[in-house]
Amino acid sequence: MAKPPQRKIAVTGLGLVTPVGNDVASTWSALLEGRSGAAPITGFDASGFTTTFGAEVKGFDPESAIPDRKLLKFASKSHRFALAAASQALADAGIAPTEPDSHRWGLAVGAGMLSVGYEDLRVVHRYAAPDGRFDADGLMDPDFPGNPLAFCRWQSNAGQALLTKQFGIRGYATSVHTACASGGQAIGTALKVMRRGQCDFMLAGGFDSMLNPLGISGFCLLGALSKDNDNPAGASRPFDATRNGFVLGEGAGFLVLEDWERAVARGARIYAELAGDGNSLSCYRITDSPPDGNGPIQAIEQALGDAGITTGDVDYVNAHGTSTQMNDRSECAALKAVFADRIGEVRVSSTKSSMGHLIAAAGAVEAVVCCLAIRDGVAPVNANHATPDPDCDVNLVLKEPAKMKIRAALSNSLGFGGSNSSLVFRNPEEVQA
Amino acid sequence: MSDPIVFTGSGIVCGAGGSVAEVWDRLERGETAVRTFTQFDPAKWPVQVASEVQLSARELVSDRKLHKTIGRTDLFGIYAAEQALADSGLPAHRDALPESEQEAWNDRTGLVVGSGGGNYHSNYDYLPLMTEAQGELPRFGQELGNLVTPMWLLRNLPNNVLCHVGIRGQYKGTNACITNQCSGGVLAVAEAAWAIRNGEADRITAAGHDAPFEPEMVYYYHKLGLMSGSAPRPFGAGRDGTVFGEGAASLVLERESEARARGAKVIGEFLGFGCCNEAAGIVDLAPDGNGVSRAIEEALASAGVAKEEVGFICAHGNGNRASDATEAAGIRRVFGDDLPPVTAFKWAYGHLIAASGIVDLVMALEALRRGVVPGIATLDRVDPAIAPFPVSREAAKPRGNIALLVCRGFGGMNVSLVVRGER
Repeated sequence: MAKPPQRKIAVTGLGLVTPVGNDVASTWSALLEGRSGAAPITGFDASGFTTTFGAEVKGFDPESAIPDRKLLKFASKSHRFALAAASQALADAGIAPTEPDSHRWGLAVGAGMLSVGYEDLRVVHRYAAPDGRFDADGLMDPDFPGNPLAFCRWQSNAGQALLTKQFGIRGYATSVHTACASGGQAIGTALKVMRRGQCDFMLAGGFDSMLNPLGISGFCLLGALSKDNDNPAGASRPFDATRNGFVLGEGAGFLVLEDWERAVARGARIYAELAGDGNSLSCYRITDSPPDGNGPIQAIEQALGDAGITTGDVDYVNAHGTSTQMNDRSECAALKAVFADRIGEVRVSSTKSSMGHLIAAAGAVEAVVCCLAIRDGVAPVNANHATPDPDCDVNLVLKEPAKMKIRAALSNSLGFGGSNSSLVFRNPEEVQA
Repeated sequence: MSDPIVFTGSGIVCGAGGSVAEVWDRLERGETAVRTFTQFDPAKWPVQVASEVQLSARELVSDRKLHKTIGRTDLFGIYAAEQALADSGLPAHRDALPESEQEAWNDRTGLVVGSGGGNYHSNYDYLPLMTEAQGELPRFGQELGNLVTPMWLLRNLPNNVLCHVGIRGQYKGTNACITNQCSGGVLAVAEAAWAIRNGEADRITAAGHDAPFEPEMVYYYHKLGLMSGSAPRPFGAGRDGTVFGEGAASLVLERESEARARGAKVIGEFLGFGCCNEAAGIVDLAPDGNGVSRAIEEALASAGVAKEEVGFICAHGNGNRASDATEAAGIRRVFGDDLPPVTAFKWAYGHLIAASGIVDLVMALEALRRGVVPGIATLDRVDPAIAPFPVSREAAKPRGNIALLVCRGFGGMNVSLVVRGER
């Protein structure tokens, strides 16, 4: 069934705060070199955990990135990354909501899973559970220092609220969470909102930080993290036969999306067309993706169909590539099933090899990476790959970044819970006006 | 012409009952399900009421193995979604298809869920470990595996309902989990409708679930001045806050042509929606209610419905002084003095946060079906600062077969939906 022509959406602004750089330029140069952002954790004493390293954001100064001190008080660490990356993206696009058009601006974010801060929980412990058993009456102790600011930060859409307030966004606004697919699904949501004419401009992205005692605990318990404590920089090795778990990262990525015709009319620099979105649910297991790729396959096919292109138009895949045994095998099976005899021609890399896994921010950060790859005609490397895995025999970008024209790039995000998101970005030179 | 998007199944669970009929009964009888809570001892608490779900975990989800891997909120979501699916007849329809067609059918069947996103008590699993560690983080890390379940993260995934309803029913199509505080459930319905309109799926189950009633939530809502000590009195002169409920609701959406072709009963039609932000901050409200009026206007325009066609308004009406006052102002800005009957349901089953709007929507569709707008049983007298405003203790007759719903939330959120009743 032929689809009616859809409104074209341009990407005109990018912003990043990642473990390898606190802006787009520094992150991009690190990714091209395959420089790792993983190191022993410095934010807290992680020495007792089964994994003692992660990919932390480094040298981030929230006060210079976010001048509004009052807003900052309400912002958690991941909200701060979000505010900084979003303002970069708007500055890069050279537009921002103004009073007359603020209601035509929207926001869609992939927000991290809620986790109360370790120190906040310690307060609850002291008053309501000194012996380990929670007794609600402890909260009624007149000295219990329950902090309403912490409560506000903890609301599921707190990051969204701070962003709309900071930038004066008055149209559609939403937060989504499908674990590791969140960032991709947020950008897909923004695409849909714009196509149906509900907004003319959107800020779309994701933010997350689970590099804290409670955040890392969940993954340690699950055994999902690499335990290569003596080799943090080499621990994230997607598609390598010896891969043994992902490396937890943190950060934020944002894109400014606007109506293509408007962007052209105002002479904006267009990084790419956000051309297609695909979503599926694997319905297999909570943590695993099916070995045969059933689930991710449908998301990729939908995204290509939605973009009106075929596998023959795709030159680069930014893989989800978490560096876990199951994910990488399943994703490669899906890519091989979809790309079939073209699988050798499409270049694949997982930039999680450098940045680690930014969870709810991953899909958004990697969408930014796809736009940069298209702009510069270069695919970033899949770092740390030494031992081929016959199940993952896709055409990886190894050792050196690959200079090449990228007509279209595909970004995959496959989440715990089985949600799969694929996005297609097209080179503006390939887009018919 | 475009094919209308219709509702073919609904499900609900909240303090007022575990079926649409049961909840309706209470609304019609004017009987609130807000009462002294039992999940913890209320004796020392300034707030002692909530509307708790009375069904047991077994009654909500019969598979006991699942209970260990999900939270209380997920039990509600799975119950409501599967009730809606059963009501729609879709699972039986799928199972009767030739096996060769079932896989493609599953790929075209989606799920969109509005989730509360998390609960304070999930973190309490770490409290015994904290006692053991005595503030020493290395020890916390070392003893982690001995004192906390390896399933901790999975049990607390915000997208658990999506995941488990998907696995249980093999619905593999487009999906989303919306964690937009109060707006999650209604946005799930709106996004589901648009996904079908855009051809991303042929049928979608939309659900919203939440379990906000827990001690820390009561503590902070009370501290912020948002809690009442009794059943809320939306738009009333004596209103003094809201009260927590818990539960879930769900609606199955599909194209009317497909619903008719398989002989499904149609319980209503999605017409349009609006979503507007006030950019006011996390808990603040714009004093003029401009987000409310913009959301309503956007919803009416997207539905192609004139304001005179609205049969009744199902308001957010959470019982807070500022929220109700600004909501009434926003409604009045759109409708002027020609207001259809207005009602709000939170007096009956409390505020379900992420599920609040979709629970209200399911009951608004039932109100259209019965041609009755239930009154607000706890209303003392209409707030003179708001009056005249067409809310009342008594039931009213809708002016027509279209309902307009308002749902508001933290983060300056305002969502409005326009639906038609069964024809």
